[in-house]
Amino acid sequence: MTPAHFTFSSAFALGLMGLAFHRTHLLSALLSLEMMLTLFIALSLWTLQLNSTSFSTSPMLLLAFSACEASTGLALLVATARTHGTDRLQSLNLLQC
Amino acid sequence: MSPFILSILLLGLGLGTTITFASSHWLLAWMGLENNTLAIIPLMAQHHHPRAAEATTKYFLTQATAAAMLLFATTSNAWLSGQWHILQMNHPLPTTLITLALALKIGLAPMHAWLPEVLQGLNLTTGLILSTWQKLAPFALLLQVQQTNPALTIMLGITSMLIGGWAGLNQTQLRKILAYSSIAHLGWMLIVIQFSPSLALLTLLLYFIMTSSAFLSFKLNNTTNINSLATSWAKMPTLTSLAPLILLSLAGLPPLTGFMPKWLIIQELTKQGLAPTATLAALSALLSLYFYLRLAYAMTLTISPNNLTGTTPWRLPSNQLTLPLAASVTATNFLLPLSPPILSLLTP
Amino acid sequence: MSCICFYLVLVVGLAAVASNPSPYYAALGLVMVAGVGCGVLVNYGGSFLSLVLFLIYLGGMLVVFAYSAALAAEPYPESWGSGPVMMYMVFYVLGVVMVSGMFWGEWYMVFWVPADEMGEFSMARGDVEGVALMYSFGGGMLLVGGWVLLLTLFVVLELVRGLGRGALRAV
Repeated sequence: MTPAHFTFSSAFALGLMGLAFHRTHLLSALLSLEMMLTLFIALSLWTLQLNSTSFSTSPMLLLAFSACEASTGLALLVATARTHGTDRLQSLNLLQC
Repeated sequence: MSPFILSILLLGLGLGTTITFASSHWLLAWMGLENNTLAIIPLMAQHHHPRAAEATTKYFLTQATAAAMLLFATTSNAWLSGQWHILQMNHPLPTTLITLALALKIGLAPMHAWLPEVLQGLNLTTGLILSTWQKLAPFALLLQVQQTNPALTIMLGITSMLIGGWAGLNQTQLRKILAYSSIAHLGWMLIVIQFSPSLALLTLLLYFIMTSSAFLSFKLNNTTNINSLATSWAKMPTLTSLAPLILLSLAGLPPLTGFMPKWLIIQELTKQGLAPTATLAALSALLSLYFYLRLAYAMTLTISPNNLTGTTPWRLPSNQLTLPLAASVTATNFLLPLSPPILSLLTP
Repeated sequence: MSCICFYLVLVVGLAAVASNPSPYYAALGLVMVAGVGCGVLVNYGGSFLSLVLFLIYLGGMLVVFAYSAALAAEPYPESWGSGPVMMYMVFYVLGVVMVSGMFWGEWYMVFWVPADEMGEFSMARGDVEGVALMYSFGGGMLLVGGWVLLLTLFVVLELVRGLGRGALRAV
């Protein structure tokens, strides 16, 4: 295992744990979803390390898609702030059984 | 919603699944999944009430997490083996992670908790899209991944079947019951996916037919809970007499279509020497049968205890399109004699 | 050696984001991670990708996050000094240290591979050429990316429209 591989794996796992375990605000959950950033770094490092330069398009596409995801998440933040009056995740409890 | 925006969103839904189908590279498959998720979100939130916003938020968070996990697993696979091809997954760690991420995406137990809540917040049409079309792309990926750990899919399948049966027992809301039915059916597919992928595909297609007739008939009746099912005899007498057949077909009783996948899967499992697993699968179908029967009982076998103000709404012409419902109900009930040709069509 | 420092800051930064502080501080941690990520990419020779990360990510996305942190403002923000956040942070960092201890004997260092070994034949660095392929070979991918950006525009418009009575108003 190379240090780079270990670094982005552990960083991603940390982001995932943060998303899964404790979120009080929807915005914090969206910030944890930005662990896609580590995937950007991972894809770029794979490209650079293996010298397959034609693959370095993929981090750019990843960045575009994660920007789409982030903006959709922020739009949902606005939508839930309007319908629920707050962005706390505890208030999203209408559908539980 | 403006028809132009609606057409763009539907185009996005179709394009996402198509991209995932057409891809052999994990990155492109991931793009298709993201496209699919993004396109359905405004359809889910189209009525802007708090339940819809909440369901959309939960759906978005789970799908985005699953997509990120999928991409992380494939990137790890590329770091470990240098491969991006979907069919060439050899390392056990990324394969397991990908299977779990896809299971989160389609809502298999133990990652199922979002599905009933999300489905409960939607209207029936969007719920139908969510439980049929949105499952196609992740399932296509799941079919292509070479499983390295045989216990994983069997465990996912068994827990899904049991949880889908047990948790559905306590529900009175139709959409939640349909969500648990979806979990249980996906469990049937997962249990056989590594022995015979074509059989899993057959089960998925038949499940689509059966669940769309269930969703469409509930939509025509305009009901979302068991209580209001009891007055459906005054609205649609013919459909009310057909609905128990739809539900029993979902449960998998012999002369109906739903028996075919269960029969073939149990046969395949027995051929593989997994008789205890097959027995457990057959017994877990009884759990689901109980709530299907309860729906059938409330809808057809008894009359509402309340006095109805009008018993003749069936005279009023309905302005909903009933042709898809008629086609899917026919397929739901009478496809069993066609099982040899269907099977030979799907088996390579 | 600087690479190792960057890796450390990257992991600690993600732990800082994950340990549930208030959104402002989480965004601050993300800024730090993104900045350090640029450093990692430059160390590997990907200067253009690093520039893209710096400009697009820090310039675009985090401005939006700072804006919406205002929407989720709270009177008593929790930073990493407060008890539970500090506890989670220590827990996460210790977890990473323990997992890295499991791999301790098996590190192999293959970094410092430059991106352009064929540097003497080309005018630009490797990643610049690679990204430029998006406009020739990877045209289909460019189309898909453009399409999803358009789709997101409509998605966001539909989500924040809210029963057609203007943007920021309760329903």
